[in-house]
Amino acid sequence: MPIDKLTRRNFLKIMGASAAAGAFISPREALFLAQAQAATNISFGGWGGVAEDEGVKAAIAHFEAEQDKIKVEWQHTPDAGEYGTVLLTNIAAGTAPDTSFIVADQYETLRQNGALLDITDYIQADPLLGQADYFIQPQESNRSADANGRWHGIGSTWVAHHIYYNQALFDEAKITPPGFADDEIWEWDNFVEICKQLTKDANGRHPGDAGFDAENIQQWAVDWPMWWMPLAAAVHSNGGQFITDDGLSGLDSPEAMEALQRLSDLIYVHNVAPRSAALTNLGMNNTQMIDSNRLAMGVDGSWALSWMNPGLMQVPMGTGALPKMKQPATIMQAHFHCVLAGSKHPQEAWEWVRFLSTPFYQTQFLKIGLWLPSQTALATEEGLATWITEGVHPANYRQFVSDYIPKHGVAARLPAGYIEAQNDYLQPAFDALANGEAVEDVFPKAVKQANQVLEANR
Amino acid sequence: MIDAKTTTPAKTKASRFSLAQRRTIVGYIFITPFILGFIFWFLTPALVAANLTFQKWNLISAPRYIGFQNIERLFNDPILLQSLKSTLIYTFASVPVGLIFAFFLALLINTQIPGIAIFRTIYFLPSIVPAVAGALLWAWIFNTEFGLLNAAIRALGGAKIAWLQEPSWAMIAFIIMSTWGVGGAMIIFLAGLQGIPDVYYEAADLDGAGRWNKLVNVTIPLMSPVIFFNLIIGFINSFQVFVQALLMTNGGPQNSTLFLVLYIYRTAFQSTNMGYAAALSWLLFFFLMIFSFIVFKVLGNRVYYEAPGN
Repeated sequence: MPIDKLTRRNFLKIMGASAAAGAFISPREALFLAQAQAATNISFGGWGGVAEDEGVKAAIAHFEAEQDKIKVEWQHTPDAGEYGTVLLTNIAAGTAPDTSFIVADQYETLRQNGALLDITDYIQADPLLGQADYFIQPQESNRSADANGRWHGIGSTWVAHHIYYNQALFDEAKITPPGFADDEIWEWDNFVEICKQLTKDANGRHPGDAGFDAENIQQWAVDWPMWWMPLAAAVHSNGGQFITDDGLSGLDSPEAMEALQRLSDLIYVHNVAPRSAALTNLGMNNTQMIDSNRLAMGVDGSWALSWMNPGLMQVPMGTGALPKMKQPATIMQAHFHCVLAGSKHPQEAWEWVRFLSTPFYQTQFLKIGLWLPSQTALATEEGLATWITEGVHPANYRQFVSDYIPKHGVAARLPAGYIEAQNDYLQPAFDALANGEAVEDVFPKAVKQANQVLEANR
Repeated sequence: MIDAKTTTPAKTKASRFSLAQRRTIVGYIFITPFILGFIFWFLTPALVAANLTFQKWNLISAPRYIGFQNIERLFNDPILLQSLKSTLIYTFASVPVGLIFAFFLALLINTQIPGIAIFRTIYFLPSIVPAVAGALLWAWIFNTEFGLLNAAIRALGGAKIAWLQEPSWAMIAFIIMSTWGVGGAMIIFLAGLQGIPDVYYEAADLDGAGRWNKLVNVTIPLMSPVIFFNLIIGFINSFQVFVQALLMTNGGPQNSTLFLVLYIYRTAFQSTNMGYAAALSWLLFFFLMIFSFIVFKVLGNRVYYEAPGN
């Protein structure tokens, strides 16, 4: 009933109703209200699709249910590519969040410029995170700690490349697919031969057969994308270094150039890989190609398991290790969780970043196939049992996580200035590689120019 | 004209301004939103950018004065040279192609046939499709293995083309794609065509002119102000091409589609070199200014304006 005029009678009615409502608030609720008012609010910036957004929201709900002193405000940007720009402009404007995701290739630049809080003392004082074997080592220290052993963030997780394969095409060709055990990892030459058997033109001929029509290939053996992670995996497998110990590009070493040339040869010499793979985000991607029996193997990041998994694909799916040149290798990286140096609540911000490095947060993304654990406890038999999910993780995935990754995974640490060096010089070299230009014509010059940028950013 | 005094005597008494002054004030009030917008969103950032040209600023630490280093870098930057080359090739190819295509379409839809409104809508529609959606659509059309364009080429017996992977083809792909958005220019041409009085064509008919002669001697001269306008706007827009390159190739392959604005964006927000990005922005501004000046000088007096004195 609307009150048109505040007569004395209406005034008394309102006051009476308010007093009655007040009487229903229990002392516990009153206490809660008081505490809520006393809670410290911190902000948390990051990106992600629906799954990541929901995961962060669930983590905030869990964190706030565990304690009542800190409230977290999630500042979400859908696109990871744009988040770096959003964060930088916020830092420039003095409105940076207290805590944030930090892209791997921006971490070193921000650390060098003092934008990230040194959290080493917090970690060392922490009874859980301070344990020497809490994180998978030495990979975690290799990416998080600087030359003086100081940490300015903690890796959110790990992701790494491996092979996704269409089991049906292997069965048809009577070939045993690769696995993650040391004796199941293919030698490079063997891999190339298998690729030839798995590639077919419209008449069912294989590369090397008389009359093979390279312009009309119906089934490709492999798609090895030409961007830094899958390229770097091959380089390390051949005994090279993507980033040298001095923090420079190592792609002009003989080992690196040999590895890169071998990847280009898959397309231009052996005719077993499609050219369109050069631009990964265009048109039909590896998932659609595998699902329509046009591709036997896709080299892709572990995150792709969240859609390229046995439960979601039409064709029977499996996973295996990348073939080895001199040694098995894959590149591991992921974004960081950091406290911004400008935060007015460093202690509370640390509490939140710490929470993100406990099992609850990581497990939600492990279950859907998006992430790999960075905490040792989640890679043990007992830990694996808490997240390995039937229909998502193939049977041999436990071995990938608990054995292959700790043994053969190489943590990438991208130096300050890497984004500029890559955009201006390395990516054009990768494009040239994808276009069939000889590695030795392209990489020595590009690496020299890229290293000038990296040296200027030291 | 009715004198204000006679219509509103009471108000006039209180007013301290003459009619002319009041009109001036009202005029300024009307243009104030634009002036404010211009000052805050164009002039101030441009001046800040001019100041940043002399600073080194990575957005994280405080800016530091470095003199003319950013300007010197403009003359020793191989990526800028590549970027300028790509931008100029794109501009000089896409603008004439786009103008001719838009003019041709305008001639086609300037007829009175049943359902012409539907054709006009169809040809105009792509220019209001968001650039992002258009870019994704074209990425599919240009796909090497499964794209529509290569399917057509192969059906005609040609070999497949790696449209977006090979530097020389990527530029051609972008020029082809630019014709997709000519709807805006087409509508302006159409308005121009409909503004040509029929008497000229009737006179041409009497002189025995055919279609081609009417087009060359009546339509095009009378359309010259509109063509000139679309030319200038086309040049300015194509110098600033950005979204498609960002989404479809991210400047690649081999920096062949790294247009100037994309390079500015990258330098500012990915390489975090705001000072140099500011210098690049001013370079673009000078380019556009000099370019517009040349076009006005060279072509300006060839434009026929139907006005007293002509």
